[in-house]
Amino acid sequence: MTQILRDLLADDSIVLAMETKRDQVPGWDSLAYVSFIVAVEIKFGLKFGVAEVESFQNVGAIVQRICEILPKQ
Amino acid sequence: MLFNSYEFIFAFLPAVLVVFFVLGKTSRVWALRWIIAASLFFYAWWNPVNVLIIAPSVAINFVLARALQRLRKRGSRGAARAVLLAGIAFNVAFLGYFKYSNFLVGAANDVFGTQMVLARVILPLGISFITFQKIAFLIDVHAGRVESFTLQDYCLFVLFFPQLIAGPIVHYREMMPQFHRASCRFDKGDVAVGVTLFAFGLVKKAFIADRVAAFVSPIYGQASAGGSVGLAAGWIAAIGFTLQIYFDFSGYTDMALGIARFFGIRLPPNFNSPLQASSIIDFWLRWHMTLTRFLTAYIYNPLALWLTRRRAARGLPAFAGRNKSVGAFLELLMFPTLLTMLVSGIWHGAGYTFIVWGVLHGVFLTANNGWRLAGPKLRLDNGAQKRLMRTAGVIITLACVASSMVIFRSPNLKTSGRIFQGMFGLHGLGLSGLKSSVDVSLAQLAVWIAGPALVALVCPNTLQILRRYEPALGWKVSGPGAAPVLGSGPRDAATAEPRLAWKPSLAWAAAVSAIAWIGLIYLGGRSEFLYWQF
Repeated sequence: MTQILRDLLADDSIVLAMETKRDQVPGWDSLAYVSFIVAVEIKFGLKFGVAEVESFQNVGAIVQRICEILPKQ
Repeated sequence: MLFNSYEFIFAFLPAVLVVFFVLGKTSRVWALRWIIAASLFFYAWWNPVNVLIIAPSVAINFVLARALQRLRKRGSRGAARAVLLAGIAFNVAFLGYFKYSNFLVGAANDVFGTQMVLARVILPLGISFITFQKIAFLIDVHAGRVESFTLQDYCLFVLFFPQLIAGPIVHYREMMPQFHRASCRFDKGDVAVGVTLFAFGLVKKAFIADRVAAFVSPIYGQASAGGSVGLAAGWIAAIGFTLQIYFDFSGYTDMALGIARFFGIRLPPNFNSPLQASSIIDFWLRWHMTLTRFLTAYIYNPLALWLTRRRAARGLPAFAGRNKSVGAFLELLMFPTLLTMLVSGIWHGAGYTFIVWGVLHGVFLTANNGWRLAGPKLRLDNGAQKRLMRTAGVIITLACVASSMVIFRSPNLKTSGRIFQGMFGLHGLGLSGLKSSVDVSLAQLAVWIAGPALVALVCPNTLQILRRYEPALGWKVSGPGAAPVLGSGPRDAATAEPRLAWKPSLAWAAAVSAIAWIGLIYLGGRSEFLYWQF
C-alpha cells in the first residue's frame, strides 16, 4: 500500500504505518484518497462499500477491512 | 409558527418546555412522545394539510427502512439495494411533485410554446429539508450505520421541531444517542446556553436581517419592474442581500440550536463565519455546513468513487501526483462538482435562477480547485504577505458569493441581468433603483450595510463566543485557550481564538438580556425566514 501511495503522489519518502491518517501525508487530499482506494481495490481484487470508504479512520482500518473481505472471496 | 413570533416565544415554547420538564420527572418515554406531539402541532399550525401530506411519507419511509434492515440482516444484498433505490425514488418523486410540478409545467410551456395550466400544488413547509433527511436515513440503514430503531425514534428524528423546517440537516446516528441519553429534566446550564443562542439568533434575524432587507428589497423590486440600477445601488443589492441572507439563515440556525438545547439536545454547526472565507472551497465549508456535508457524503463522494473506478477499469490514470492530466481533472473533479452543485441549486428552489446559481458555484469550485492544482505556488515568507493574500482571497470570494446571491434573490434572470448591469456601472454611478422608491440617507446606508458587514467580516460568531459550552454538536474546546475540535467541520474553525467568551456571569446575563430585548422590540411585523420556503 505504501508503494501504491508513493506512485500515486510521486513521493518516495512516504512511509505508511497502521495508524497513519490522511492529513499526516502531504498532498493526500480527498481526491487522491479516492484514487488510492480504487488502486487498492484493483491491487487486491476487491471492492469496498461507499459508506466504508468514508468511515476508514486510518490505514490500519483499511488493512483490517481487506483482511475481513479476502478470506470470504 | 415562526421562531420570531410572539406566539412562539411567549406561548408555544414555554408551554412545551414546562410540560416536557414535568413529564420528564416521571417518565422519559412520555416526555419524548410529548416532543413528537408538540412537533406535529408546530407543523400543523400553518396549515393542517401539511401534516396530512407529510405523515404518509413518514410512514412509508419507516416501512421501507424496516424492510431494508431485515433484508440487510438476512444478507439479501440485491433485494436491499432494490428497496433502497425504490425508497430514494419515492422521496425524490414526492419532493418533485410538490416542489417542481409547477415549474416543470411552466418550463414545458416555455420550450414547446404550449399553454398548459396546472392547479397550484401546495408546497408543504420545509419539504426539501425533511426529504433530504429521510433519504440520508435510508442510505444509512442500507450501509449499516443505523443498527436498530423504533417508530418513536424515527418520528423524533424526522419531526423534532427545532430543526424540522430549515435544518440543520442531521443524521440519525448523531441525534438518537442524545435523545436516549437526555435526562429530560430542567438543566440550568442547558437553558442558559439555549437562551443565549436564541437571543443572538433573534437579534440577527429581527434587528439586522430585516433592517437590511428594507434597503435591499426595493432595488430588486425596481429591477424586476424594468427600472435601471446604478452602480452603488447594484452593489448594495448584491452585498446587502448576501448580508441579509447570512444574518437571516444563521440567525434562524442559532435559534434552532438554542431551542434544541433547552431539551438538552445539541444540533450540528451550520455556519462558521462564512463571509470570512478566503476561498470558495472554504466558503462551502463554513456556509450551510450540514448541506455541504450531505451533498459531499451522498452525492459527490459516491460519484467520484464510481467515476474513478470506471476510469481505472478503462486503464486510464487516476488523478494524483504526477498523473494530473486535464482529462482526469475534467472527469473526476469538474464533472462531479458541477453535478453536485446543480443538484444543490435545484434543491434550493424550482426556477431557472436556482439552476444558474448552482452551476455557477460549481464553476467557482472547479476554478478554485484548478487554481490550487495548476496555479503558481507562491512562497509566502512573512506574515504581511500571508495576510495580504488572505485579504485578497476574502475579497474575491465575497465578490463571487455576492454576485451569485444576486441570481439567488432575483425573481427571474432578467432581473439579475439588470442588477449586474448596474454593478458594472452601465446606468450611472449612483443610487438609482433605490432612491426612487425609498427615502434613504447615505448615513442610514452606511450604518445598515457597513455595520452588518463589519460584524460578519470581523466579529467572532455565536459558536465561537459560546465555545466553552459546546453550543453545537462537536464544537468543543479541548483545553483553556485551545482551538475547537470539530468532528467533520473545517480544521481552521477558530483560526484565531477570539477573546470574547461567554460565561454564566451577571455581566453576560445583562448583555444577553439587552440583546434579547432589542430582538423583541424589533419583532414587529411578520417576517418569514428566507430558508423556510425551501
